[in-house]
Parts: sequence; structure tokens; C-alpha cells
Amino acid sequence: MSKILGIDLGTTNSAMAVIEHGEPKIIENKEGNRTTPSIVAISKSSDRLVGLLAKRQAVTNPKNTIFSVKRLIGRKFSDAEIKKDREWLPYEIREAANGGVEVKMNEKWYRPEEISAMILQKLKQDAEEKLGEKITEAVITVPAYFDDAQRKATQAAGEIAGFKVRRILNEPTAAALAYGFNKKKNEQIVVYDFGGGTFDVSVLEVTEDTVEVKAVDGDTHLGGDDFDQRIIKWIAEEYKKSEAIDLSKDTLALQRLKEAAEKAKHELSTTPETEINLPFITSTADGPKHLVMKFGRSKLEELVHDMIEKSIEITKRAVVSPASKGAGLQLADIDEVILVGGQTRMPAMIDAVRKLFNKEPNRTINPDEVVAIGAAVQGGILQGEVKDVLLLDVTPLSLGIETLGGVMTKVIEKNTTVPTAKSQVFSTAADNQTSVEILVLQGEREMAADNKVLARFMLDGIPPSPRGTPQVEVTFDIDANGVLSVKARDKATSKEQSVRIEASASLTKEEIEKMKRDAEMHAEDDRKKRESIEAKNVADALIYTAEKSLRDAGAKIPEAIKTEVESKISALKSVKEGVDFDATKRATQELSASLQKIGAEMYKGGEEKKAEGKEDEGNVKEAEFEEKKDGEEKK
Amino acid sequence: MNQHTSPTEQDAGTSKENTNESARLKEELQQCELRSKEYLEGWQRAKADFINYKSEEGKRLEDMARFITTGLIQDILPVLDSFDLAFQYKMPKEMERGVLLIRSQFEDVLKKRGLEEISVVKGEPFNPEKHESIGEIASDVPEGAIVEVLQKGYTLRGKVLRPARVRLSKNNN
Repeated sequence: MSKILGIDLGTTNSAMAVIEHGEPKIIENKEGNRTTPSIVAISKSSDRLVGLLAKRQAVTNPKNTIFSVKRLIGRKFSDAEIKKDREWLPYEIREAANGGVEVKMNEKWYRPEEISAMILQKLKQDAEEKLGEKITEAVITVPAYFDDAQRKATQAAGEIAGFKVRRILNEPTAAALAYGFNKKKNEQIVVYDFGGGTFDVSVLEVTEDTVEVKAVDGDTHLGGDDFDQRIIKWIAEEYKKSEAIDLSKDTLALQRLKEAAEKAKHELSTTPETEINLPFITSTADGPKHLVMKFGRSKLEELVHDMIEKSIEITKRAVVSPASKGAGLQLADIDEVILVGGQTRMPAMIDAVRKLFNKEPNRTINPDEVVAIGAAVQGGILQGEVKDVLLLDVTPLSLGIETLGGVMTKVIEKNTTVPTAKSQVFSTAADNQTSVEILVLQGEREMAADNKVLARFMLDGIPPSPRGTPQVEVTFDIDANGVLSVKARDKATSKEQSVRIEASASLTKEEIEKMKRDAEMHAEDDRKKRESIEAKNVADALIYTAEKSLRDAGAKIPEAIKTEVESKISALKSVKEGVDFDATKRATQELSASLQKIGAEMYKGGEEKKAEGKEDEGNVKEAEFEEKKDGEEKK
Repeated sequence: MNQHTSPTEQDAGTSKENTNESARLKEELQQCELRSKEYLEGWQRAKADFINYKSEEGKRLEDMARFITTGLIQDILPVLDSFDLAFQYKMPKEMERGVLLIRSQFEDVLKKRGLEEISVVKGEPFNPEKHESIGEIASDVPEGAIVEVLQKGYTLRGKVLRPARVRLSKNNN
């Protein structure tokens, strides 16, 4: 059976995907790109160009280059929208005999669906070439606000391109499908789609087996391209202020500026500051001029703040406005928020959405591709390929054990696919410790006490030895049914103890979500706490080593060094229980420095081996079991 | 599976009951066989999937490595542009030679990785496969042909990495 192609036919860019081996996958076009500009042109040499090639000649062939045709498809010439768009679109538009719209390319008039068909045809050819098979069926997405005429015209475009259009799918619904939210029951979903040129927000309701669009809103002339324009304008103005040179008339300078602005915008999604560096941007009578400018995230946010605010206002309106204008819901009623469109990578935008709904938006799927992915998923469902033959679960929360200082050490991270098994080797925290207690924990918090205790058991019979020497291997094994077995084995004696935990899966979805939220909320505090405990653990280990060195070396070291080390030990002891872990770190370093003097002395005495041993002991393993009081152990 | 009552609890047992019992057991056996076949198939499939995944993963890693180099080289192109722009100005002779040498060091490294400049001749017809028009200018070359290159274009291992940004001839009548 041939594959069904999922197509996101966008205003500025289009993307396509299919289901392969049960998983949706984006298909690259012939040029090797994951998106294709939605542009068609007849070149001056009368060739028909589609996509990137059409874009490359758009500047010098504006009359014969058709872009944004999605704004025209299925509309009446008399529509207010068309009237507005005619003002800025550089190509000719006229009323068709049936009251629709026609556009002119190279002296010939085309209906918008014919133009869209050319884009779809290119996608079809490229997909066939890439996949090595004929593609005859497609699922094509359209904005949720498209009326019947616009949908019919889009379907017609698909048919002209040679597809059997299996479904015209709403873009927000596709996004929800990509995230698998169609399986959720009775949930309210908001899809926030900030594209290159348009902003759409949709409120969806998922019921038993349908996804219903409850409200749509948006701004057809608000998008990421506006952000770029603001940045370019700002840079040019700043430059004019400082150098009194106007770059806006210089073709090459503008081209370089545009690229630099886009690059800077992308970079500021991951770094707080970037530099715009364009040497030899232009020249004056005095010689060459350069453009070097720092550009910070806060500046970018300031430049586009109003546009983000506007989108948030529209989103709010879509959710809370009473029926017919909006979804008639409270913001708190929304269960999931999905981000679509490349611009939604911007941290300030994510923050604004998060703040509005007090909820983490979904953005794990590439926001440029999520709609095409969803269209492919719909294709898979129609074809019957996406059935859950074997459903493999994941562990919803991390699993681990408590280690020295009450820290949770994770053995199996959350979202690991089961069945799975993992081992880690731990050691003792005190000399001659003959038993360890294994406290099995579930959760995301750094401190053991904040996580759920699943089980506890003892492994005893460990031969008495110095701390850090015994090797206890702890193995976590989760079978396909979610049953967790934890086993601890002393490598020296092969003695082992284990426990089986059925209850690990008994947490409800709400509990799991709450635990995850708690972890996020306390992430910063927890990290600090853990760091301070780790600092204390390192301090303890060093004190242990230092005291042992003093004992072992005895009379071989000069009294002065001995006193120095002793004083550093007591200094460290006095700070390590406190809250200032920087002080602990400093004292640790000082003690470590003094300790090296013992090593040096020992070298002088020719006892190299011993000294080396000490150095090694300085690096005591981080993860050790907590020392247990004798009374507690024997039970 | 083990919910049937133990035979010892039954009295002698009529033949009818025995037949029923054996039919039930047969059916159970059949179901078990069916299920075990399904499981085996599922297991084999998973194993095959994994092996396929591993070999595909190798290819993916290769693609990834190529993708990363491509991205890196693409990021370096503006540096080459800056060199080109710098040479439009007069520099002390030895200085110019030095900068030229730095540029060629750069180019050597990139050439080894498959980067090549797209050569453009004045008057050459515009071809969007390798050119991008960013403006027009009056000129003596035929209408629509290339007059000048504003930014050099490059191919990487035969594929256009960046088209040459050019100005086209505009009819000057």
C-alpha cells in the first residue's frame, strides 16, 4: 500500500511528512531542506520555478513571483481581506468570472488553487524521489478558520496536483495529533501558532473520538518576519546615530544586515547576548566603515514586546470570550498548550504563554514541523498504520536510592522505556561498616526526603574494611509490566539482597504530575542543597584522609606541618556543618593544600608509595551510602 | 488459567464431562499456541527493528556529521565575505599580502572539506539553481543577465551551499 503524504501547506513555507516504521518522519525536498518556500514564479526565461528557486529571483521578478497565495485561496474578490492584501502584494490580482480571485504570472491568469497545486506538485515529486515510490494520497492541513470555500479550493489544489486528498485537516488539530492528544478524553487544548507571517490561536476540545475546534482567533499580519524587520530597523537606526550613515539604500549592506539579524535572533533563543559583527559594511570618503554591536536578549524583548503582548491578548480573548466569539472557558480550564511556528522558540514568548496559562507549554516537537507531522499521523490513522501493536511504557518518574547526606542518586532516569535494567556501584561511608541500607526512591527531587519511598532493605555481612573500599552493586530492573526489582550485591562476598516492588506504578497521573511540578518548582533550591551536601561530603572525606595521614605518617612529618594540618582540619570541621558551602569549599581547598605538604615531606623521606596512596584517597567517590548507627542496623 | 477444579474433587466423571474438559483444554492449548506465536513474532520483530535501527543509526550519525560540517562551513561564509570586502580597500603592500595569505589558509581548509566557489562571468544568464538576484542595475549586458556578483556563492561537495548573490542587468532605454 502506498504511503499517505501529510502536507502542511503554509503561507510562507510548506513541509511534508510520512509514517515510516510506525513513526512520523519529515521528508526533505530535492534541495535537501525540511521546509519549502510556498512561492511559485515564471522566470524571465519562461521557466516555472517553485520553492527556493522561485524565492531566489523574487527581488528582480516581483510581478511574476507569487507568494502568500494562501491568503487568496477560496476567497471572493470582494472580501475585505483581499482588498487589504491587494495593497501590498506586488503581483497583479483581478476578479475572476465566478467572483473569485485570479493572479497574473507571465501574462497568464491563474486561480490561487492552481498556484497551490504547483507547490503541492513539487512536494509530491520530491517525496516520490526521496521515498522511491509513487505517492497518490495526501492529507493537507488548513487553518481552523478556513471556511467551506477555502477548504474546497485547497482540496481542489491537491487534486490538480494529482493527489487523492484523503482529508483536509485543521492545522491545530494536526498539532494535537502530533502530540498524541487525540487519545486524551475531555481535554481542552490551546494551540498557539506564531508563524512567519501570521498568528493563529485555536481552542480545541478532545472528546470520545473527535477533536472539535471551539474557538479560533488570530492576526493575519503578525509574525516572526515582523520581528526580523524590527531588529534590522533598530540596528540601522543605531548605526545611523553613531556613524551618521544610512544603510537602508545599500543593497549588499541590507542583505548582510538581514542575515545577521536573523542569525542574532536565533542565537538569542539560547544565549543571553550576541554580537553583530559586520566588517566593511560600507565606506565613506574616510575609508571603510565597520558595524560592531552588542545585542542582548533583553533588547530583543524590548523591541518586540508589544507584538508578544498582542498575541497573548488575542490568546486570552479566544479562551475566555463567551461562545460565538471565543471558547467561553476559564484560562484554568485549559489542560494542554501546544506551541507551533518557529518564532515560538523565543524564550520570552514561551514565558509569556507559560505565565498566561500557568502551565508548561508543549514544545518537544520541532514547532516548524509539528503540523506536517500531525498530518502524517492522520494519514497513518486513515491507513491503519499507526496502531499500537506493542505498547511500550516509560517510567514516569526517576528511580534511585538514598546516598550519603540524604541525597537521591538516580539509577533509572524518568522517561526511560521499559523493560530495562541498570546497575551502579556504591560504597560505604564509614570504616568497618558491615551493612548498608538500601532506600529505594521514586521522584525528581534532589533530596531523598522529598521523594516517595518505595522500599527499604539491608545488605549485611560486608567484610570490615576502610570506608570507600567495599563495592556494592545495586541493580534496578523494571519488567514490561512495570514491576521493579532492586538487588544489592556485595562484589567481594557475592552476598545479595533484593526486593520486588509492585506498587511503583500505583501512582495516579495527578500524583505523578504533582511530583514533576514540585521538582520543577524546587529545582533551584534543591540544586543548592545538593551542592552544599556534596561539598560537605567532600569535606568529610578529606578530613578522614587527613586524619588518617597524620596517624599513618606519625613522627615522620615536622611538627609545624602537623599543627598546620590539624588547625586546617578543625577549621574545616567548624564550617562544614554551616550553611555557607562556599566557606566549606574554601576550607576544603586549604586543607587539601596543607595535606600536600605531608606528601612532599614523605617524598623527601623516600617513602613515595605511601604519599601517592594518600593523593588517591583524596578523591573519594561521591556516591556512598549513609553511615548507619549500629542500633538501627541490627533489626 | 488455573481456575478449573482439580480432577480429584470430581466424582468418577461422566464421559460427557471428560469430553467437555478435553475440548476446553484443547481450546486453551490452541489459544496458548496462538499467543506464544504472537509473542515470538513480536519479539523477533522487536529484535529485527533493533538491528535495523542500529544500522540506520550508523547512517544517521554519518548524516549528522555531514550536517554539522555543513552548518559550520555555512557559518564561516560571512568571514570569507569580509575578507573579500577588505580587499576592496587599499592596504600597505606587505599587509595585503599577509591578509591574502590568511584568506588562502582559510580556503585551503574549507576546500579540503569540499567547498568550492561558484564562478560567475559577467553577462552570464541568471540561473536560480546557483544565483540569487538581490538587485538590478543599468548595464550593457543583455536584459536579465548577470552584471556583477555582490556576494560570492559556494558549493559544498557539489551541492549549492549558498547561491551567488548577483545584480542583474536592467534595460536602460
